[in-house]
Amino acid sequence: MLIALFTILLLGGSSTALLEYIADTRDSVKTVMAKDERQKEALNTLKAMKKRTNARNKHVKRASKDLAKAFVDHDAAVEQTDAVWDGYFAEIGRYNHDMLDLRYELKEHINREEWEAIFSVD
Amino acid sequence: MSIRACLFATTALALVLAGCGGKDVVLPVDVENEAFEDLRSEIREAIDDPARETEAIALVDNLADELRALRDKISARKTRAKELNANYDTSRADFDAFFEQVNSEIRSNQQRVTKNHRALLAITTPEEWSQIAKARSKAMSAAIKSVQTI
Repeated sequence: MLIALFTILLLGGSSTALLEYIADTRDSVKTVMAKDERQKEALNTLKAMKKRTNARNKHVKRASKDLAKAFVDHDAAVEQTDAVWDGYFAEIGRYNHDMLDLRYELKEHINREEWEAIFSVD
Repeated sequence: MSIRACLFATTALALVLAGCGGKDVVLPVDVENEAFEDLRSEIREAIDDPARETEAIALVDNLADELRALRDKISARKTRAKELNANYDTSRADFDAFFEQVNSEIRSNQQRVTKNHRALLAITTPEEWSQIAKARSKAMSAAIKSVQTI
């Protein structure tokens, strides 16, 4: 259990996928937007976000596994965990960048009123 | 409101209140406390030397603080991300600044946790480490799952 604890503390839990939830708004998009070409484009962008998040999740799983493996070994070189973490952190940067690209691509298909109806935080 | 509607509303309210204050409700903080108590017990069992045991338990106390802080940080970061996204006019620079701040927090968190990990390795023998690492706790699994699902 100590290993799992170290792993989650080091990887930061779900706080490294902060725009992931946008991909889960397909139903709202279908409800709010008229069924036309713009809606189709918006849904395609959400699909791309989901795909990017799935790839990121695979990376996280791999990093968790590698970290756990390194943590189990008392004599493992500390550089071993550092290398896993560095790779993971680089992926967070790429993921955030890609998700932001997709977020702005999504905005091109949705007008202000629709956006507010889909993403209202109230 | 009819008598029947009034009766229904009163019953529904009573059920909601019973649910909120019921003894079956387990708060994440209680699960975490139990998880770390399990971990302390395991350390007491694995390490015979009192001085090293005390040191190891102090390090575990740090980890408990880290998990609590992580829970709060995740909630705050998610709320802020939703606020930024909800605003149609949020600029890319605003998002970049937010991610930069989050990344910097994650990096300093990584340094603290790594320091803690190394300190624990330094004061335990391979056998003690193996015993602590192999131990399973339902509470710890639940605490970790709970943080993962925020």
